[in-house]
Amino acid sequence: MRVLIIEDEEKTADYLHRGLTEQGYTTDVAREGIEGLHMALESEYAVIILDVMLPGLDGYGVLRALRARKQTPVIMLTARENVDDRIRGLREGADDYLGKPFSFLELVARLQALTRRSGGHEPVQISVADLWIDLISRKAMRGGVRLDLTAKEFSLLSVLARRQGEILSKTSIAEMVWDVNFDSDANVVEVAIKRLRAKLDGPFEQKLLHTIRGMGYVLESRRVD
Amino acid sequence: MSTNSIALRLSGMFALVALLVFMLIGWALYLQVDKGLGLLPEAEVDARYSVLESAVQRYGTPEHWAKINTKLKLLSEEDKRLRFWVVSDNPTYEFGNPDAEIRAFAKGPLGMRDLNLSGHEYPFKVLVSQFPAKDQRPPLRFLTAVDTETFWQTQHSLLVALISLAAIGILLASALGYWVARIGLKPLTELSLEARKLTPPRLSGRLKLSPLPPELDQFVTSFNSTLDRVEQAYSRLESFNADVAHELRSPLTNLIGQTQVALTRGRSAEHYFEVLQSNLEELERLRSIINDMLFLASADQGSKATQLTQASLAQEVAKTLDYLDFIMEDAQVQVEVRGDANAPIETAHLRRALINLLHNAVQHTSPGQLIQVDIRDEGDHVSIGVTNPGAPIAGEHLPKLFERFYRVDASRSNSGANHGLGLAIVKAIALMHGGTVFVRSEHGVNTFGINLPS
Repeated sequence: MRVLIIEDEEKTADYLHRGLTEQGYTTDVAREGIEGLHMALESEYAVIILDVMLPGLDGYGVLRALRARKQTPVIMLTARENVDDRIRGLREGADDYLGKPFSFLELVARLQALTRRSGGHEPVQISVADLWIDLISRKAMRGGVRLDLTAKEFSLLSVLARRQGEILSKTSIAEMVWDVNFDSDANVVEVAIKRLRAKLDGPFEQKLLHTIRGMGYVLESRRVD
Repeated sequence: MSTNSIALRLSGMFALVALLVFMLIGWALYLQVDKGLGLLPEAEVDARYSVLESAVQRYGTPEHWAKINTKLKLLSEEDKRLRFWVVSDNPTYEFGNPDAEIRAFAKGPLGMRDLNLSGHEYPFKVLVSQFPAKDQRPPLRFLTAVDTETFWQTQHSLLVALISLAAIGILLASALGYWVARIGLKPLTELSLEARKLTPPRLSGRLKLSPLPPELDQFVTSFNSTLDRVEQAYSRLESFNADVAHELRSPLTNLIGQTQVALTRGRSAEHYFEVLQSNLEELERLRSIINDMLFLASADQGSKATQLTQASLAQEVAKTLDYLDFIMEDAQVQVEVRGDANAPIETAHLRRALINLLHNAVQHTSPGQLIQVDIRDEGDHVSIGVTNPGAPIAGEHLPKLFERFYRVDASRSNSGANHGLGLAIVKAIALMHGGTVFVRSEHGVNTFGINLPS
């Protein structure tokens, strides 16, 4: 999947390039607006990541010129996070909007959401190692034993299971499970993960729910060393 | 100089007032005098005539007439303004050498009339009277005349005098007015000199009240209270900046320090991994602080909640409780929600405020106790109050609890996610909705809440 990054800040462009490449995307980088617009118009990209503050032609200008000819999904990045900027970006045809400082995981999540939107269907049953989840009847079994989960715990598990192998930040978990899309002092996600972990991994040898310090959580089957 | 300009303006206004007053008085005076002057010539003519009337009537012979002639001649020599003419068919019984112009005038109607003589600038006031024939004397017309020149001249010089007096008066009024205004404005000049000494580094100074006239009292009082507020804001800003620096300093110290330690010698991959993870935690903390600061700053700059929807507050509280469910279970506290009301809100913002309010309450509630959420419709606004049993908060702290980084216990460390902005964010969200926040501490319970316009 090809992604175009239009970003003049060198460090940002570099880590986005490396990170997204490692995530399996084919990435191109443009360091200024006019060059970026040219590339966006000439080639086909799945998603364009567009910084607002650019030399030459700014992000809004690129977006306007692009939208005149193409509907490639665009994620806008900006350091000036205020409501007006956000509204302006979305009105002029951006598909999503991230204010700096943003986390890389967040960007990846948004990217996936945008590319997923355009196709594919949600599975109804998911299995990870000996864990088996039925999303319709909202049941979870592990090693043939039914897990006694509350509704919230099940929602949390299904969010993690749908993205198995993918690190989910606390913020995106809070957004997907509770529709809370801002940082709060309350460490709700940590507490919820602790509870889920007790029921999911507590009695079992193989642990499925892993904490990635500073980043978030991932549900995956790892080899027992 | 602002004081000068006020003095100048005042003296200008004095001049205008003087002009108006002088014009009115002068005009009235002039009218009055003019009326009197207009009557004077007639009175004079009447007086002269009444003296002569009986003699002219009685005397019918040339001998007697000669006496009248002499008398008339004497009178007109005595007073140059006086003229007499006698017109009849017999030149013996005439006087003043009446020419054709006079004769024509004398034939006109009897009574008081104006006579314009050619070669004479001002008219004569003339009393034309008629006497019937007597003895040898034929009937005659007797003209008693007064030259009005002097009256006109008097009137003219009165006008000139009035105008010049008025001009002098106006000049005097404005000059004196300027002087008086300068004296009157002296307290103001002193005040502005005093105010000039109050610059930001010395915000603690205040204007003195005692020697001021009562008119300036109110100004100085309100000026001083403005200074109070400015000083408070100024010191809040200063301590806020210091707090921000402090909040950012400790994560930055950790970041720099542990990275430097890690880099001083070769380490295992595992160690680097750990350092990076720890760094990431600190960075997340920085990000969270910066995001909150940006949010507060945008509220400070007057950013308003725009995507308002009419919503049930009880439902919003229920959603918030759903989010905080696990936390409350861990803390072993119960929440009771009473009442409901609808208000236009931006749900994401209000949710954030409610989470902060409730989380704050949960943190300060002992296990087994009950938190109450009261939603009330107060007519022009709705209020959501979150009450928890807890130690009383001293009155001095109450108004400051919603300020950024304010902590009742200054020594309390700020480890973890709680960086002291939660209630400040509640206040910012209230402001964005055009609402307010409130806090009460009484009867062993503490209530934090938010008022929103309904």
